[in-house]
Amino acid sequence: MLSGGYSSKKRVNERYKIIGFISSGTYGRVYKAQGKNGQVGEFAIKKFKPDKEGEVQYTGISQSAIREMALCTELSHPNVVHTVEIILEDKCIFIVFEYAEHDLLQIIHHHNQPQRHAIPARTIKSILYQLLQGLVYLHKNWVMHRDLKPANIMVTSAGKVKIGDLGLARLFYKPLHSLFTGDKVVVTIWYRAPELLLGSRHYTPAVDLWAVGCIFAELLSLRPIFKGEEAKMDSKKTVPFQRNQMQKIVEILGMPSKDRWPLLAAMPEFGQLGSLSAGNPRIHRPMGLDQWYHQCLKTNQYPTGPSSATPGSEGLALLSGLLEYDPQKRLTAEQALRHNYFSAHGERPSENCFEGSTIEYPYRRVSQEDNDIRTSSLPGTKRSGLPDDSLIGRPAKRLKEG
Amino acid sequence: MAASYWESTQRKFWTFTKQQLALERRKVEESERVLVQQYPLPDRRLLSIYFYHQLAKLARPLAVRQQALATAQVYVRRFYTKVEIRRTNPTLVLATALYLACKMEECPQHIRMVLAEARHCWDMPVNDTSKIGECEFTLISEMNSQLIIHHPYRSLTELQANFQLTQEENALAWSIINDHYLTDLPLLHAPHVIAITAMFLAVVLKPAQGGLQVHAAGVANALQTLGNARSSSGPGTQNRVQKLVNWLAESNVDIEAVVDCTQELISLYEIWEQFTDKTCKDQIARFVKGRGLDK
Repeated sequence: MLSGGYSSKKRVNERYKIIGFISSGTYGRVYKAQGKNGQVGEFAIKKFKPDKEGEVQYTGISQSAIREMALCTELSHPNVVHTVEIILEDKCIFIVFEYAEHDLLQIIHHHNQPQRHAIPARTIKSILYQLLQGLVYLHKNWVMHRDLKPANIMVTSAGKVKIGDLGLARLFYKPLHSLFTGDKVVVTIWYRAPELLLGSRHYTPAVDLWAVGCIFAELLSLRPIFKGEEAKMDSKKTVPFQRNQMQKIVEILGMPSKDRWPLLAAMPEFGQLGSLSAGNPRIHRPMGLDQWYHQCLKTNQYPTGPSSATPGSEGLALLSGLLEYDPQKRLTAEQALRHNYFSAHGERPSENCFEGSTIEYPYRRVSQEDNDIRTSSLPGTKRSGLPDDSLIGRPAKRLKEG
Repeated sequence: MAASYWESTQRKFWTFTKQQLALERRKVEESERVLVQQYPLPDRRLLSIYFYHQLAKLARPLAVRQQALATAQVYVRRFYTKVEIRRTNPTLVLATALYLACKMEECPQHIRMVLAEARHCWDMPVNDTSKIGECEFTLISEMNSQLIIHHPYRSLTELQANFQLTQEENALAWSIINDHYLTDLPLLHAPHVIAITAMFLAVVLKPAQGGLQVHAAGVANALQTLGNARSSSGPGTQNRVQKLVNWLAESNVDIEAVVDCTQELISLYEIWEQFTDKTCKDQIARFVKGRGLDK
């Protein structure tokens, strides 16, 4: 259409030197890069794969890439990964982000090795505080993240927490269609809120707060709290009821009730709850979050009695507010931020989550196998022993819209 | 952003003063001086009307929502402040803008559907989706990936509740907002200023009598009313209008901006009467064919 066709004004290789490959996913690949020709510092460059492998033609950009580009350009907050620029070149899209040395999955992983040792309570408090500040900002701006999980929460070497991967994020102000119509499945299974598991069509930002609850629990126990197995979509592309995941939740929290969650019976999959206990006696004798919490603190040897070295009873109160079944009663990001947990012992959470900690976390591993960001053949190739999904049995990346 | 227009890229990068906008356009024209002289075009507002008609024609069979159509119009307007129109195939730009807007407004259309409809209702000779795909790269790149648009519709919804607009008034205000996309106003004023202007005009024009058709003369009268109401205080027959004007005066809203928006709309309604589809179509076809941009 333009005389001469599209040509990029900016070229990735003129501005960045690729140092190595970080990870890949359904969206494409992420590379670590160093700035050159006036561009200073380290960066993470996300390259979106074209819809079809080895695509030589323009096919139209996927909706999720469009969302991510638009949101990344618009958003700016110290606790949301900063987007440096977006380059469209040779039928590919590159989003250049500030580089973060760590992420929560990698940090949790480090504390599981060689044997389990707890993450310092102050580190956890600071992480959560920063995460919630980023989330307040997103929600205030009508952005739902919809894929919060440890692997998507970045941490810089200065201890700054940054929410990353807005690939499933979207605006939720007065949607033209129900959110369900847009994307049938959101949030990685272990972090998926009960209203989503029960098939809610009109969910709210509360889904992100459930995920924050799961992440909090995982930072404390170093294991995913609700580690269910995902039921795959059948050939007709109907969305299956995630029975096993729901069971995992009920085994700890107990069965949701209409008393505590008035709209429960209106959930499309409500009928499924009755049969959850078939062959699973634990459904009737749930552990209870209190017991889970106390056992967790004990196992990970957090000191007893009030002190800033333990998340203490305030931690439990916050956790139960986040892992609240009824999305309308669940704490909002703002309420969570004002929770006593953050003000107990007269100590403000640190702006640097590593403050006062002597633990050294390993640098992000980058592989040298694939250093050519422009020509490398895209996925199929699974990441090679890299932090992101390397903890045994991490569930697959959530499905993109069908 | 979506909540705060004040922090948005729309305010920071895509809202201009009239002088700035004129300067941007002059720069673009001067970069293609020969082309501009060789292929004269109708007034920008007439072209905008033409573009709107074309987009609406494409949007109807696809059942595209009004807001996506509005977003597409803003994309086209932004794009042509950066790129000289005579260097482009406008039909392709329109189809692509609508395709992109639908994705951004969460009512996506398949690229093949957009192409098929464009071929059907415009006789667009392009028969390859990759053309739309390539044009999408160009659009996004020229807009620096700043794709989120704040529309006045949302402000209107809030105002409607505050001022208890009747259904007719609301419908009229809504259609005035639709019309403002045919002018430069989306590049000149904040969405709430547009919404207030639309509401004000709707109340003054009394849709019950005039129907939804807005005429220049009517708007000019409304402007008069705004002027009168500002100078004379005290209760009059135009109670509701007076109330509105008082509210305007007490709020932080810039009345000059409302006056400016109203004038812009008057001139749109005036020039609309000269509009003929054919003139625009022919003059666009001249440079598209002449330069082989439809290939």
